[in-house]
Order: sequence, then structure tokens, then C-alpha cells
Amino acid sequence: MTQTVSQQGIRVAGDTHVGKVRTANEDSMIVDPVRGLYVVLDGMGGANAGDVASQTARDAIRELVMERRMTMEPRALLEAAIQHASATVWHAAQQARERHGMGTTVVACIVVDPTRAVVAHVGDSRAYLLRNGRVQMLTRDHTIVEELVDKGLLSADEAERHPYKNVLSRNLGAKPEAKVDLVDVELRPGDRLMLCSDGLYGYASAEAIQYLLGSGDAPEHVARDLIDLALRGGGGDNVTTIVIEAPQPPPSSTQVVRTTGAMQWWQRRSRFLQIAKDRGLTKNPIVRGLDPEEALELIASSLCQAIFHDLEKSTGVNVWTFAQNIAGGWFERAGEWAPLRALMDILATSARAVVDEIGVVDTNLGFLLSIAVSRALVVAELAIGGLLADRLNRVDAELIKVHAAIQETIQGGPEASFETVQDTALEDTGDRFIDPFVDRPTVPFLRPDRPVTSPGVNSELIDAIEKTITIARGRTSLRAELVKQILGAVQTIAIDATGNFASAVLAAREIYGVRPVDDTGVMPLFDALDQARIITTASVHQITASDALRAKVLRALSGAHQRLVGATTGLVLEAVAPYSERLREVQARTAAMRDEVAKFERKRADLERKYATTIDHSQPWEKRGTTEW
Amino acid sequence: MVVTMSTEPPLARAYDKLRPIVLQRLLDMRATLDPTFGRLDEPTARAQISAVLEHLGNFLASGDLGSHRAFLQTFLAMRAAEAQGSVAVLAMLVAIGDTAAQVAQDELAGSIDGAELTLLLTRVTATTARAVNDLVAEELARRVAQWNELALRERGTS
Repeated sequence: MTQTVSQQGIRVAGDTHVGKVRTANEDSMIVDPVRGLYVVLDGMGGANAGDVASQTARDAIRELVMERRMTMEPRALLEAAIQHASATVWHAAQQARERHGMGTTVVACIVVDPTRAVVAHVGDSRAYLLRNGRVQMLTRDHTIVEELVDKGLLSADEAERHPYKNVLSRNLGAKPEAKVDLVDVELRPGDRLMLCSDGLYGYASAEAIQYLLGSGDAPEHVARDLIDLALRGGGGDNVTTIVIEAPQPPPSSTQVVRTTGAMQWWQRRSRFLQIAKDRGLTKNPIVRGLDPEEALELIASSLCQAIFHDLEKSTGVNVWTFAQNIAGGWFERAGEWAPLRALMDILATSARAVVDEIGVVDTNLGFLLSIAVSRALVVAELAIGGLLADRLNRVDAELIKVHAAIQETIQGGPEASFETVQDTALEDTGDRFIDPFVDRPTVPFLRPDRPVTSPGVNSELIDAIEKTITIARGRTSLRAELVKQILGAVQTIAIDATGNFASAVLAAREIYGVRPVDDTGVMPLFDALDQARIITTASVHQITASDALRAKVLRALSGAHQRLVGATTGLVLEAVAPYSERLREVQARTAAMRDEVAKFERKRADLERKYATTIDHSQPWEKRGTTEW
Repeated sequence: MVVTMSTEPPLARAYDKLRPIVLQRLLDMRATLDPTFGRLDEPTARAQISAVLEHLGNFLASGDLGSHRAFLQTFLAMRAAEAQGSVAVLAMLVAIGDTAAQVAQDELAGSIDGAELTLLLTRVTATTARAVNDLVAEELARRVAQWNELALRERGTS
């Protein structure tokens, strides 16, 4: 009969069986989770004395543990209990002639807490520890042969074949006192302790025991399967086993998200659709012409399902595919970014609202799902980013073609055609492209026609901006002329009452000057822009002003800096665009050449194979009839 | 009069303490992060990744989306100058954000700060990805307009 109990998260199961040969079960056991006491006893002695011995010892152990467990330390308690059992069995044996010579083995364990246990044994009942899939024996059989091996008088092989290999050197009841071996065990999460009588390991292989113990099945199943294993192995003896499992480590965040998280998310599917509808998903231009329910099904439901599957499998592939389908379809219809952005925002805020609701019920799960759903949204942005970049490349290529065509029309001749220039550059390295392209100074043109965005500035704000820039200049190294120039530009842009992008473009062109589009030209410029941003942000906190005014200054300077960076970036991108295109073309040509080389390689290999078959290596060199490759 | 800087928010402070670990982890995996980083020598890669991590710290401290956009714009332009497309930049920025969040989760496991910082960094990564897409989309719109204008001119000249 299997007993299943638990103690502080520790799961325990015990089982015993008479076996296939014996008529009585002389084994006994204690499974007592209240006291953390687990014992297997294997009685011996004729005329039913064996079961009396094991039961007497069992009762004596339980009695002493119950009586003294509050006053004794576990190790001493276990030893004392076994000594008491030995004395009790010995006395019982002395009182009845037919019980003379009865005795019992014992393996006992007190689980102090989920991290600590004490194991004691006398005789050949064993304790095993399973940790990280490996089984280790905690006890050493008290047999005459084992002791001879310990003393070096017998080898392990000789011991295995020895006629007295099962003769015990120690048991409870042979004498009033017993010599008890004790082991302290530090338990780790998921560890399993197994106590058993010799009826198990005598009829089952060590490998099979290890396999079952490490199977991950619940302890009650393991205990039952171990008994079955011994029975299948012959069942020549009574068999008893107790399996004790230390608390499993808490499930990892990933496991929680994959199981509970995914389920909770899916259960709120209709809520997600409702929130998305309330936030205007059905009115988005992307789903124009669709029935609202159809739109919800097509967009919100698909994303909900994609997130669910990705949560379940810890991937991002479903959300990626969803985003690619939606964005790809929209861009194919020449759709603008704004509606797609709005749609993604609706879906993102709806998803977050649902996760927040889950968080109200279960804070930890809500937190884990917040991270997982945010990650899913990042995946969606990555997919859309790929499509945007692809579109940008295609527009760039078109732009260059149109530009080249215009140049050709204006100037005439093959030099003006960009494609002609490309071909020539690849074939003729002599005259046209002497310098590496990155060294060619460029002053690209950017029209100062961006829309007005600034709400205007008042004198108090101008004053605060000037103070901030003064502090920032003071914090700038004397040699950092470029940074100072940028600070000046940021100030000018920030206090420009019109807020026109023109001031940013003019400042950018002035700072950009004539510089090569390479590491030495562009990098210092952007480094200086970045440095100026950091210094400005830090300096805002050092002016004497109200928090509100500081916030305004920070906003004004941030905006100015952003406009300046935007304008500078525009200049750089315009300067770089033709070269990037050239680079791509060169890469494409290189790839084509590589394919050609591969083709020739294949041809060469074919020829090698063809000629190799005609060479007769058994013939002398001159008679082989072909050339050796 | 010069006054001291405002107090740094606790999460930004927690992030700053983790920065060396994040940096080291990113350096260890820099070849998978971006081919350009893989080719760089360690001091250069260290300097470049440090710049991104430092900016992330500033963004966590200030929450200033404008300066975040400005930084991203600079970063995109710098990488464009190295012939790196926006997809590679986006993937790299997301990988940096993910690694930072992972380090926060590992190093501050069990603490409230750890949980909040992990979530914050994940959301910052989402914000970053969106901001990069916004910038690319704006650039795309500008070029489409430029293309239309040039196409008109081409038709005019021919």
C-alpha cells in the first residue's frame, strides 16, 4: 500500500510488498510527516519472529522519537531511538524461546527541514540520494563481507562471489546495544532520498533503480514502480521502499509565463478585443471597409492568438509574422506610417491594459506578463522596422535613378549617368575615382523648409536658456571648440522665436562645414553633438530657477538639440546615400562574381572526378595514360 | 548661483551599478550583436557600447523622450556613415536593451528594484524600437516627397 504525505513541501510515499516467494511480510515502515520520521525495517528470525522484531523496533523508535523529539538534537535523537529499539527487541527476544535470535535491520531518516536530514542505519537496509539525476548510496551494508572489504582483506569482486555476502555483521536485537552509522544530508531543491530493504536492490539492477528514481514522476508512482521492479526481478524477498522528495525549486519565470501566463492571457481574449474596440481599432484606416467584428477578428484576435502562442513557446515568431502581414499589406497599398503606428499603439495599450488586470489578481504573474508582452511588442516593432528599412532602400534607389536622369538631361554625356559612373568605376580605377570615396569632402544641400513647431519663447525663458548655456560652456574643455560651437547653435535655435527649422539647418551647415564622410569627419561631429547634449542636460539642473522653468528650459534645449541633430543627420544621410547605394551595388557584383567562381569550382571538381576515374594507379607512371592532377 | 543637481532616481542608480556587468556581457557577445562590433578591437567596442549604455542611464534618469530621439537620430546617422542599415541598428539597440533587462533580472533577482528595473528596461527597449521606426518612417516620408519633386523636375526638363 502506498502512503503519500507531505511535510513543509516535502513529498513522501512509502510502499511495501510481501514479494512472490514469502508468505509473510517481515518488513515494517514508518512514514510520519508530522515528526519528519521515515523508517524501513527488515525483520529476521524464524516462526514469525522476523515481523515481530521489525514491528517491535518500529514501535520503539516511534515511541522514543515522540517522547524526546522536543529535547534532543535530531542526530542524537535518531541514534538514541535506534539504540532503544535494539534494546527493546533484544529484551523481547530474551522473553520468549521461539523468538531467540530474532532481529531486524533498520534504515531511518529524520527530515529536520526542507534543507536538512539525518540518516541512520544498522544492517543492510539502504538509503540512496538522487541529486541532479545521479544516484548516490548513503549507507554501507553492515555485512561480514563488506567489513572484510573495508579492512582490505577481500576485493570487491571476491566479495560479490563470497558465500557469506548476505550475512549481517550488525542488526538490532542481537545485542542490547547497536552500533549505529549516521550521515548528515544537506538537501537541495528536488533531491530525492530513498530508503529500502534488501528486497528491492537484491532483485533490481542499480541502473533501473536510478532510472525510476530520477524519472520525475510523483513519489507515490516511483515507490509503486520500484516495488513492481523488484517483483518483476523475481520478488524473492519482502520489499519496502520510502521515497522522500525535497521541495522542488520554484518554477522559473519562463515556465510560469509559458503555462499560467499564456493561459491567463488567452482567458482574457474577449476582454482584449473589447478594449481594442473601445480604443478605436475598428475606425483605423487600415481596416476601413471591413465590418467592425471582422476587423476585430482579423487584427486584434490574430494578435491575441499570436501572443498566446509565443508566450506558450517562448518565441516571437507568431507576433513577428502577424506584424509583417499587417504592415506588409498596408505598405503594399502605399499606406502611410501614421495609421499603422496608431493601430500598433491601440493594440499595445490594449495588451497592457489586459496585463494590468491580470496583475491586480496576481502581482507576480502580472509583472512577468508585462515583460513578456512588452517583448512581444518589441518583436512587432522589429518586424515593421525591417519593412520600413526595405521601403527606404527602394525609395533611395529610385531617388538616385531620378537624380541621375536629371543630371544626364542637364549636362548630357555618359558621365552624368549614375549607372554609367558605377560601371566605369568598377572597371576603370585609373582616372575617375582616384581617392577612396570616404575621403571626398561633401557639402550636401538640405532645404530649410521644415514646418514651424515651436510655440515661441518669452524673456524669462531666454534668460534661463542663456544662463544654462553659460554654465555648459564653463563645463566644456578649452579645446573642445566644436562642442562650444554646438552649444552656441543650440542656444540660437532654442531662442529662435519663430521656431523655424531653418535656423537648425543653417547652424547644421555651418557646423558641418566641409568634412569627409568617414570616421574622422563625421564621428567627431556626432560625438560633439552628444557631448553637448549631456553637458546641456546636466547644466539645466544647475541654474537657479523654479522646477517649472527648468523643465521649460530642458524642453526648449532638448528640442533645439534634436532639431540640430536632425538637420545634421539629414546632411550626413544625403552625403552618404549615393555611396551606400554604390556599396550595395558593389556587394551585389561581388556576390555575382562569387557565384561565378563557385560555378567554375564545380566545373573543376567535375573534371577532376572525370579524369580521376581514368587513371589506373596500378600501372607505372608513364602508362597511366593521363595527367595526374 | 550654481546649485547641486537633482537627486538621481533610484532605478537609474540601480541601473548605473549594473552597467559594468551589462557592458561585459555585451562585449562577450559583441560579434553576435552586430558584425561591425565583432570586427572592432575591444577598447573601441567598449567605448561605443558604453556610449549607448550611458545614454540609456540618462534616459532612465531624465525620461526626456526628446533627447532620447536625438540620441537615436545621431546613432542612426553614425551607423549609416558606416554603411549599416537601420534594421541592423534597431536589432542592436534591442539586443542591448534586452541584455540590460536580463542582467537586471539576474543580478537583482527577488528585489523590488530588480523587478521594476527589468520592466522599465523592457519598456525602454520598446520605446526605443518605436522611436527608431518613427525616425526611419520620417526619413522615408521626406525621401518620398523628394522623389516626387525630382520626378516632377525630370518630367519638366525632359
